[in-house]
Amino acid sequence: MLRAGCQLLGQASVAKTGSNNFALEFVRWRRKPRWLPVAKSKLFRVPERKKQTEEERTELMRLHNQYKTQLRSVRQYLREEVIRYEETSTADHIVLTPEQEEAEFQRCLDENAAWNAAIAKEREIRLAKERDEKVVYVQERLEAKKLRDEERLERANARVLHEIEQSKTFITRENLDAAIETALANPVDHNFAIDMGGNLYYGRNATQFPQETTNEPPQQALSN
Amino acid sequence: MSQKVIKYIGRTTDFRGSTLWELVSTLPNWGEGRMVIRNMFQRYPEPCYMRILKVQAEDAQANEIRKVRVTVEKTWRGVTQPKPVEIFSTSYKADYELVPVEEESKFLNNSKKVAPVVLPKHIEFPPLLREYIREETGEANPMMKVHFKKTHNKQARVAQPGEKPSKEVSMDLGQPAKVASKLYEGLV
Repeated sequence: MLRAGCQLLGQASVAKTGSNNFALEFVRWRRKPRWLPVAKSKLFRVPERKKQTEEERTELMRLHNQYKTQLRSVRQYLREEVIRYEETSTADHIVLTPEQEEAEFQRCLDENAAWNAAIAKEREIRLAKERDEKVVYVQERLEAKKLRDEERLERANARVLHEIEQSKTFITRENLDAAIETALANPVDHNFAIDMGGNLYYGRNATQFPQETTNEPPQQALSN
Repeated sequence: MSQKVIKYIGRTTDFRGSTLWELVSTLPNWGEGRMVIRNMFQRYPEPCYMRILKVQAEDAQANEIRKVRVTVEKTWRGVTQPKPVEIFSTSYKADYELVPVEEESKFLNNSKKVAPVVLPKHIEFPPLLREYIREETGEANPMMKVHFKKTHNKQARVAQPGEKPSKEVSMDLGQPAKVASKLYEGLV
């Protein structure tokens, strides 16, 4: 903070003494900023206490008392006038007799009751309609759920049947030896390359394919 | 070795005496029943003094002169106030002085009173407001009530109906006091 103040001071002095291209000259930081401490040269300066003479003191006191009495009297008058005006004027409200007030209140009550009745009628109709809509909606949802459950059951059945069908080709403990023999008899080599046209290129010799097939042009890959 | 001379540097003050805590803390029974005075009020010829009724100590605050809560019966310019007064916020002022018991009679026997001031009941309006009110009401010389609020230490009062006020109050500068007439030489 203090440093910032000093910087500002420096800038200000430059702006004041240096040549500037503008017509404006800011004299904002002319004095010592309030937050800087007392200057060393002023540290032990004791300000002189000015003594008022007796006549001056008496006269100033008299004028002060006079002025205060005048001002307070005017303020009191204006305050009382405002209160008087508020009590007597009918500017911001209309004065009614008790009977008129009662009639006015009754009229307001009747009007309010009529509004309430009209709104109640509307509300009845709206609620009935909403009830019907709700019933239809719930019915729809129930039927949809029934359908969904049936479909689910069907899907499960189909899956079970499919699995039973598949289980016929499973390798079990009984036909394990036969399966191993078959696998050993028919080794399959998956090491091949494939091009954009779907042609297969076999790179190894030890396959189940006959030797002559490697010399032939690559065969068309089978799409399954 | 010569005697040490204390030289005071700084602003002078009109206060004379010590703070209330300095007085009260050294006295037996906290000085209850004793008479203290404010030296600032001794400028009046009428007696101004206070009698201590009750003392409540308050904690000392850091970097502040210690205050104390003292209930006193206050006599100011010869008028004893009906209710006891509590001194707290001004108790730090180094202007209090204890009156020795044998000197109390000096204050008690001083029976000087302030001359009664009787204010007029009405005062004229300021010029512009007076013109407005004249237009509105048609009254040639409208007057308003003088503001006055009764307090215990107020020496003035408003004139009763038919009574002659001892002091003139008007909506102008008024007459300067005799002492101060020198200030207006060549002006009025």
